[in-house]
Amino acid sequence: MPGALPAPVVGRPALGRWVFLLVPLLVLPVPFFVNRYIQYVLNLILVYVLVGVGFNIVIGNLGQLAFANVALFGLGAYASGILVVHAGWPWWTTVIPAGLVGALAGALASLPALRRIRLFYLAIMTMAFGELMRWIYIRAEPLTNGSMGLAVPPPVLLGVRLSSDRSKFYVFLALAVLAVVLTSSLLRSRFGRAFMAIRDNELAAAAVGIPTDRYFILAFAWSGFVVGVGGAMYTALVGHVTPEAFNLLELILHFAVVMVGGLASLAGSVIGAVVLTTTPELFRGFPGVQELVLALLIVGVLLFLPRGLVSLLSLRLPLFRERYYRE
Amino acid sequence: MLPQLVVSGLAQGVLYALVALSMTMVYRATTVVNFGHGDLVMGGAFVVYVLVVYAHLPYLLGGLLALTILFALGVGIHQGLMRRIMTGPHLAIAMMALAVGYGLRGGARVLWGREVLPFPRIFPDHAWMLGDVVVTSDNLIVSGTVLGLMAVLFVLFNVTRTGRLLQAVFQSQRGAALVGLNVDAVHRVMWGVGAALAALGGVLLAPITLLYPDMGVWVLVRGFAAMTLGGFGTLHGAVLGGLILGVVELVLGAYVSTAFIDISAYVVVIAVLLLRPDGLFGQQVVVRV
Amino acid sequence: MALLDLADVTVRYGGLTAVAGVSFHLDPGEVRAIIGPNGAGKTSLFNAVTGHAPMASGTIRFRGERIDGLAPHMVSAKGVRRTFQNGGLFGELSALENVLAGLHTEVPSGFFGVLFGLPAARAVERSATARARQLLDLMGIGHVADQPAGALSGGQQRMVEIVRALATRPPLLLLDEPAVGLAPAVREQLLGVIRRLVREEGIAVILIEHAIEFVMSVSDRIVVLNEGKVIAEGTPEEVPKNREVLEAYLGH
Repeated sequence: MPGALPAPVVGRPALGRWVFLLVPLLVLPVPFFVNRYIQYVLNLILVYVLVGVGFNIVIGNLGQLAFANVALFGLGAYASGILVVHAGWPWWTTVIPAGLVGALAGALASLPALRRIRLFYLAIMTMAFGELMRWIYIRAEPLTNGSMGLAVPPPVLLGVRLSSDRSKFYVFLALAVLAVVLTSSLLRSRFGRAFMAIRDNELAAAAVGIPTDRYFILAFAWSGFVVGVGGAMYTALVGHVTPEAFNLLELILHFAVVMVGGLASLAGSVIGAVVLTTTPELFRGFPGVQELVLALLIVGVLLFLPRGLVSLLSLRLPLFRERYYRE
Repeated sequence: MLPQLVVSGLAQGVLYALVALSMTMVYRATTVVNFGHGDLVMGGAFVVYVLVVYAHLPYLLGGLLALTILFALGVGIHQGLMRRIMTGPHLAIAMMALAVGYGLRGGARVLWGREVLPFPRIFPDHAWMLGDVVVTSDNLIVSGTVLGLMAVLFVLFNVTRTGRLLQAVFQSQRGAALVGLNVDAVHRVMWGVGAALAALGGVLLAPITLLYPDMGVWVLVRGFAAMTLGGFGTLHGAVLGGLILGVVELVLGAYVSTAFIDISAYVVVIAVLLLRPDGLFGQQVVVRV
Repeated sequence: MALLDLADVTVRYGGLTAVAGVSFHLDPGEVRAIIGPNGAGKTSLFNAVTGHAPMASGTIRFRGERIDGLAPHMVSAKGVRRTFQNGGLFGELSALENVLAGLHTEVPSGFFGVLFGLPAARAVERSATARARQLLDLMGIGHVADQPAGALSGGQQRMVEIVRALATRPPLLLLDEPAVGLAPAVREQLLGVIRRLVREEGIAVILIEHAIEFVMSVSDRIVVLNEGKVIAEGTPEEVPKNREVLEAYLGH
C-alpha cells in the first residue's frame, strides 16, 4: 500500500492491560524524593502526555496532516487563564471549559478536511490557523494582556490552593491517567476503528458504512478536548500564558512527542512526552542547542525508527501492540 | 496613495514570488512541499551576512557563494535525508523538511542567540520620482534581479532541451521515469536549485531587513500564501500570487487596518483554501478522495 | 422486483465519459459478471452504484428505492457492499479489526458509553468481537485474525476483504477483480466461497473479472462492457460466441 510504514508488531498480549495502570501507581511516591526543579519537569511531562495523546488521535489514528494542535493547546490555556483572571473562576472549574473550547476549535479545524482539503494543503492551512490565533492573542489585549502575557494566580482545587509543584503533580497525574484511559476506551471501540479505517482507506471506510465526515469531526473534537485540558494544565503549571509559547517551534515539539514516541500509540505518546520534555531541559541555557538536538532526534527517528521508540518495546514485549477491540 | 502602495507592494511581492516560485519548483519536481524552505532563505541571508561582514567579501561575490553553498546543502538534504523517506507516509516527509529547517534555525541561534543583525548598507541610497510615486534603488535592484532570473528560467524551461525534460518530470514523475529519465538525478538537482533560489531570496532580503534566526517563519507563511493565492503548484501562479500578495498586504494595511500587513498571509491561506481552493490561476487542488 | 435496477447510467470524469448509458437489472440471488477490456468502465460502474462517483445521468434503484446520489456510507447501510480492485483493506488494522470495521453499522455502542466504559457498551463491543472471530473462522482464516492485514498473503487479504464486506449479510455484494493475482488453488477456494454464499445465504453477486474461466464457472449471466457501453449480455454459453465481443477483445 502506498506510503505505508513497516508492518506493526503482532500478537495478543499475554498480560492484561492492567499492567499499564501500574505505572501511575509506581510513580505516586516520587514527589517525596525529588527537588522542586525535577518536580516541575515531571509536571511538564504530564502536560505533554495530554498534548501527545490528543495530537496522536488526529495525526496517528485518523492519519491527517492537521497541524492545529498548538492552536488548540493555546486556546485551552488562554480559556483557562481568562476564566480565572477575568471571571474569577477557581482553576479546577476551568478545566472542562478549556477542554470544550479545544473541542469546538478542533471541530472547526476539521471543516476544511471535510471539504476534501488534505495532505499538504491541510497542513499549511492549519499552520496558518495557528499563527493567526497567535496574532489574535497578541491583539486581544483586554482579554489576554497581549504580548506581556496573562499572569494567572496559583490554581485552586475545591478550595485548596495548589501552590507547590508537588500538589499540582497529583492533580496532573489524575488528569493524565484519565486522558489515557478514556482515549484507550475510545480507540478500542467502533469509534477508534472508524478513525483508523478512514486513515487506511477512506473509500473503503465509506463502503463499510462509516459516515466519514461525522467521524472526522469527532476525532478532531476529542483530540481538541484532550489538548485543551492540557492547555489548562499548562496555565496552572506555568502561571503565565504568553502568545510566544504557542508558535511554530512549539508545533515541532508536539510533532516530536508523537513521532519520536510512536504514531497512533498511546504508550508512544507517553514515552514521547517523557523524552521530549526531559531532553530539552538537559540543554536549557544553551540557546539553539535544544533545537539542534530536537532536529537530530526527529531526523534520526524518521530515518531509522519510523514507528517511534515504542516500536523498540514492541519487538520485545507483545504487550505494546495496541488492540482496538474488546474481548 | 494607491499607486505608491501598488508599486511598493509589487517590490515586496517580488520577493514573495521568488520564494513561492522556488518552493513550487521543488514541489513540482519532487512532490514534496518543503516546510523548511523559509529556513533555507534565512540560511542564505545569514551566510551572505557572514561572508560580507566577517570575511569582508564584496556583496556580489558573497551572494554567489551563498547560492553555491546553499545549492550544495539542498543536494545534501535530498541525498542524505529526503531520498530515503520519499516512499513513506506524507507526514514523515513533511516532518523531515520541518526538522531540517528547525535544525538550521537552531544552528543560527547557537551562533547568534537573541541578536537581531543589521546588514551593512549595500544598495545605493537613491530614489526616483515617477509622478507621485517614489521608487527606491532597493526596489529596482531586488525587482530587477528577480525578474531577470525569472526571464532566464522561462527561457530555460521552454527553449532548452533540459528545460523540456524538466517539464516532463513536473507533469508526471512516473511517466518521466518510464521514458528513461533519471528522475533521482532530477530530484537531486532540483533540491539544490530550490535551495539556491531560496538563498537568493535571503541574499536579496539581507540588505533591506534585519536578520534573526526565526525570520524563516515569516518567509514560509508568505510563500505558502503566494502559492495558494496564485494556484498551488503552478509556476505562473506562484509568481502572480506573490506579486498580488505584496500589493494586498500594503493596500489592506493602509485602507482597512495595519493589522493586515501582518495577517494578510494567514487570512489568504485560510480564505482561499476554503472558498476557491484552486487559487486565482490554478488547477485542481482538492484531493480526489 | 429486481434487486438492483440500473437505468441509463452515465458517468463522466471531466471530459471523459467512463460509462455511457448502461442499463441492466439484477434479481436476488443472481450472479452477474461484468467483463470487458481495460478502461471499459467497469469499476466506474461499481463506483456509481456504491456512491463513490457521481452520475451525470440515469437512475439506480436498489430494492425499488433510488440510491443514486446517496453518500457511499448510506448505500452501504442499505445493503450494497463491495470489495476494491487494489487492496481495500485497512492495512494497519488486524484482520479481526478489519471485519469489526465491516460490522460498524451493527455495533450500536454510543460515544459516551464507550468513552466511560459503561457495561452496556462493553457488552455490545464484546459480542461484536465474538461475531467477527466467528466469521473469520467460518471462512477458514481464523488463525490470522490478529495479524495486521497488510502483512497477510494476497489470497488471505482477499478473503478478509470479502468477510468484511459480508459481515452484515448484505443482499448484494460487488466484487472488483477478486481473483486477480491469486494462485489457482486459491481461486478454486474463492469460487467455492462465492457459490456457497449464493446458495446458502441467497446473496446476489456482481463481479468484475478478467479471468474468463472463473467468470464462466460461477456466473448466471454475463454483461460485456466496452468503452462505457454494454455491447453484449447473455449466458456463459452465448457471450463468447458474440461477434462484437470477440472484436472488442481482439481489437485491443
